[in-house]
Parts: sequence; C-alpha cells; structure tokens
Amino acid sequence: MKNSLILVFTLLLIITITTTCIVNSFSVSAFIAPVIMVLAAVKFLLVAFQFMELKKAHSFWKISLIITLGLLVILIIGIK
Amino acid sequence: MDTLKINYKSIYYPPGGILMWIIIFLELITFGMALVAFVYYGIENATVFHESRMQLNTAFGATNTIFLLTSGFFMANAVHLFKENEVKKSSVFFKLAMLGGFLFLALKSVEYYHKIESGISLDTNMFYTFYWLLTGFHVIHVIMGLVILGWTNYGMKKKNSDTTVEDVEACAAFWHMCDLIWLLLFPTLYLFF
Repeated sequence: MKNSLILVFTLLLIITITTTCIVNSFSVSAFIAPVIMVLAAVKFLLVAFQFMELKKAHSFWKISLIITLGLLVILIIGIK
Repeated sequence: MDTLKINYKSIYYPPGGILMWIIIFLELITFGMALVAFVYYGIENATVFHESRMQLNTAFGATNTIFLLTSGFFMANAVHLFKENEVKKSSVFFKLAMLGGFLFLALKSVEYYHKIESGISLDTNMFYTFYWLLTGFHVIHVIMGLVILGWTNYGMKKKNSDTTVEDVEACAAFWHMCDLIWLLLFPTLYLFF
C-alpha cells in the first residue's frame, strides 16, 4: 500500500467524522452550512486528485474540476 | 499486460480516459444541479425540509460514506498494484473494493426498508421526492460500478488476459465517481437542513 494513499484515507475519515460531530453538536446555522459544504469539497478534491490520480493529468482537467465544484458549492451556499 | 507508458500530461489522456472524464463531468453537473434545486426548494419549505431531514439516520449516512471512502481507498491501491504488475494482489484489492460497495448497498437497503415501513414514499413531500430520486439514481450507479468491477476483475485474472492499465483505470474512475457523487449527496441531504 502506498503511504500517500494511507495518509489521504486517514484524512478523509477524520473529515467525515468531524463533519458528522459538528452537525450533531450544533444546530445547522448560517455559519455551519458553509463549513459542511467546504469540508465536503475538500474530501471531493482529495478523492479526485489522490485516488483518481487527477494530480497527474493536464491542467485543463484539474482546473475544470475545481471550477465545476467551486460553482456548485458557491451556488448551494449562496442559496442557503 | 500492456506496459506502454501513458502520457497523462496530454489533454487527451487523463487517468481513466477522456470519455470516462466526460461522463464524470456530465454526472457531476446533473447531480449538482439537482442538489441546487433541492436547496432552493428547501429554503421555500424550510420547516418541512428540517423535519424530514431530522427523520434521516445520520449515522447510516456517515457509515455509508466511510464504506465508500474505504472502498475507493482499496480501488486506488488495486490500480497502483496492477501498474506494478502485481495482478494477484491487485485482484485482492478489487474484491475488497467490491465488498465496500456491497456493504454500502446493504446499509442503504436497511435505510430504505425503514423508510418504506414508516410509510415514507416518493410523494410524501418535496424533501423525500428528492431523497428517493437522488439516492436511488446513485444506488443504480453503485450497482453498475459493481458489475464493471466484477467484470474487470474476472478479465484481469484470466490466462493471457488482455486487460490493460487503461481498462483498470477507467473502471476505477467510474467507481470513484460514485464516491464523488455521494460526497456531495451526503452533506446536502443528511446534514444541511
């Protein structure tokens, strides 16, 4: 097993558990909702860049994915 | 096994293949727009969405996230090992990745069973219309992913297998796409309202 993959996997688990704990500890407010979405976006990028090896791809694919995800997150947070 | 080096830095050869990435973008945009609509209607029906969201089992959602992330981790290792020509070890990780998918489906079935038993259906309210459609379409993707994983794993173990690194990467990219979609569905459906 690659050490970098183990590290990313551990980070993903920590973020998932942290997100769930935040929601269970505090009611979802105008402050918590963006935090939830930003943490989800971080997990999304970790999976795409590390597990799917997008880090090796042409910049076009990296930038396109970041822009698509960024727009979605901004729209969701903006509407909320 | 094909040992030709792939030039990932070329715009035409992202890991997994250009066609798979076009599919991934289309899927992300489709699910993404549905989530934007979900949040939009959620603001208009804030009380209904909050009450409905509170009926969902967050522990089930979080556990399913962990199942898919673990499965994705095994898949990433399977691709890495296949590239190293360790086909047998790669096959073991393929099976572990599939196990994560089956566990996801099993827990999702339990969740669906509880909802159906409580009389919650597609037309209960707007929240549950989105819930059933979004999670249902995602489940279909997971089932398709498991079929692709099983088929690729069967092909790569055969004698004189013609399974290439590109095949395994494309299969892995589809599987990770299921992860990516769920990583957006879980916080929005289970935690947001």
